[in-house]
Amino acid sequence: MHPLFSDARKLPIYLAAWLLAGACMALLLVLTGLAGWSRALLFALPVALVYGFVAMSAYYVCRAFPYPRRWPAVFAAFVGAPLFSAFTWIAMCQAWNETGRAFGDAGIIAMPPSATTMLFAAGFCLYLLSVLAHDVLIAFDSVQAAAQREAESRVLARDAELQLLRTQINPHFLFNSLNSISALTSIDPKAAREMTIALAQFFRRTLSLSEAEKIPLSEEAGLCENFLAIEKNRFGRKLGSAVRIDDEARSCLLPPMTLQPLVENAIKHGIRHLDDGGAVTVEAIVRDGWLHIAVENPAPPAASPSPGNGLGLRNIRERLAVLYGDRARISWKLADQRFLVEIALPAEREESSSR
Amino acid sequence: MTRALKALIVDDEELARRLVREYLQTHPDIEIAGECENGLEAARDIGALAPDLVFLDIQMPKLTGLEVLELTGRRSGVIFTTAYDEFALKAFDLHAVDYLLKPFSQERFDEALARARKLIGQVQPALDSLIAGAAERIDRILIRDREQVHVVPVERIDYLEAQDDYVAVNTTEGKTYLKRQRLSELEEKLDPRTFVRLHRSYIVNIAQLQAIEQQGKDGHAARLRSGKRIPISRTGYERIKAIM
Repeated sequence: MHPLFSDARKLPIYLAAWLLAGACMALLLVLTGLAGWSRALLFALPVALVYGFVAMSAYYVCRAFPYPRRWPAVFAAFVGAPLFSAFTWIAMCQAWNETGRAFGDAGIIAMPPSATTMLFAAGFCLYLLSVLAHDVLIAFDSVQAAAQREAESRVLARDAELQLLRTQINPHFLFNSLNSISALTSIDPKAAREMTIALAQFFRRTLSLSEAEKIPLSEEAGLCENFLAIEKNRFGRKLGSAVRIDDEARSCLLPPMTLQPLVENAIKHGIRHLDDGGAVTVEAIVRDGWLHIAVENPAPPAASPSPGNGLGLRNIRERLAVLYGDRARISWKLADQRFLVEIALPAEREESSSR
Repeated sequence: MTRALKALIVDDEELARRLVREYLQTHPDIEIAGECENGLEAARDIGALAPDLVFLDIQMPKLTGLEVLELTGRRSGVIFTTAYDEFALKAFDLHAVDYLLKPFSQERFDEALARARKLIGQVQPALDSLIAGAAERIDRILIRDREQVHVVPVERIDYLEAQDDYVAVNTTEGKTYLKRQRLSELEEKLDPRTFVRLHRSYIVNIAQLQAIEQQGKDGHAARLRSGKRIPISRTGYERIKAIM
């Protein structure tokens, strides 16, 4: 469909422009002494308005011979179509003028050959103008469409990236854990077996949970417990943990691998760098329809290495933004040598569990 | 006669240290001089115990393995261990430096040890180039001050001043540390968008710059937030103008 009809705001503006063109033409008629103001307007305004609709056909001309044009197309668009329309225009003008005879005159205005020539030229130019305007309109539309396509593909690319991020295995964690198991086999074979099982469970859970868009908090918390069990083998007494999740919060949904990276960061950038270690705390409550999650850990003084560049946190923020829009919030702060991450999500539950 | 070799085991994970200890049991001529669980302890003990061999983990709290070497100047008898570090491993391969990938077998361990034994006491140029190339951009400056090691993140640098063979590192907290390095060497490793050499003897953190003042007829000086005035040379003025 013609874009002017698909947008209710554009059509009146377009027609107003044609009325203006009609007024200009009336002015020309008055100035050349062919008619008085009232007759000139009576003649020019209706034909201009009708011609406006004729000139809309320029859209199809532009579409049929798009830019860049070849010679025949240029001829058709810039000469042929305006010429043809100008003849139509003259016929319209004369027909309309003839109705003046009903009032007993020779016509609404006097139509000597010079007036016909002038009207023909005006019709030709107006149509040409319409062709150019439509060309600009089409170019503008296609630029907008391209921008939108680009934005869409950016979103898709980011989704794919996040998907990868969710399923990817931290090689440092894996190989260090295997090294711990290797050490335990001679020191404490039973502990080696337990750690093997914990590691297998962790990866199995990671894989199955990553497939869902959202999972209950209880499952994500289970994954964190698995992870902490392995890390406690590696870091020994240096690593403590306290996971407190309200019963009400357990069934709330959240995107998988939201909490686990926070616990991982708490160890990697926090507790690991402290001589005496420390404990990571995870708390979750539901209040006023919102799920609040907080992960806290003691942090080393700022001069220590790898305080993290916040990339992991920004990734979570982006994921939440994709899934929740502005209905999710994540914030973090470092105060009194403690690092605190807080997340607030709308408290959603699966249909079955909300009964 | 054979003297027992002294070995230092550096790893932040206890199980990893115990594994090396276990593998060393089959080498009775090696005596374990100590264990360290972070980079700072390692820097201290390498100086204090002068071990013949150092089993050095790369990713560690406080200081990385490579930073330990940079700080102590140790260039021999090092056996690296690492679980995974994409960037470090590329550099190791590039400079043909041997390393043990965790988890490693007793055979692989023995092989690395045999290689290291042959080179004990010999400075390895490969280590030098590895450490020099390790950090093209540094994000903190390490300063050894007798027993202590100071770590200054680059964003806390106010300005650097050349003093003979040393660089005076002035922090935003108003502290000054002396590091034995040339200003030009340090300049190469700092981000040129944040650190500008305003003068032959001065590099300034742009974030700390408050104003540039006219001095004399066509001379300039920089005023820092701390109130400190730094002279600007003609080329220094061109540099700062290009950035602003």
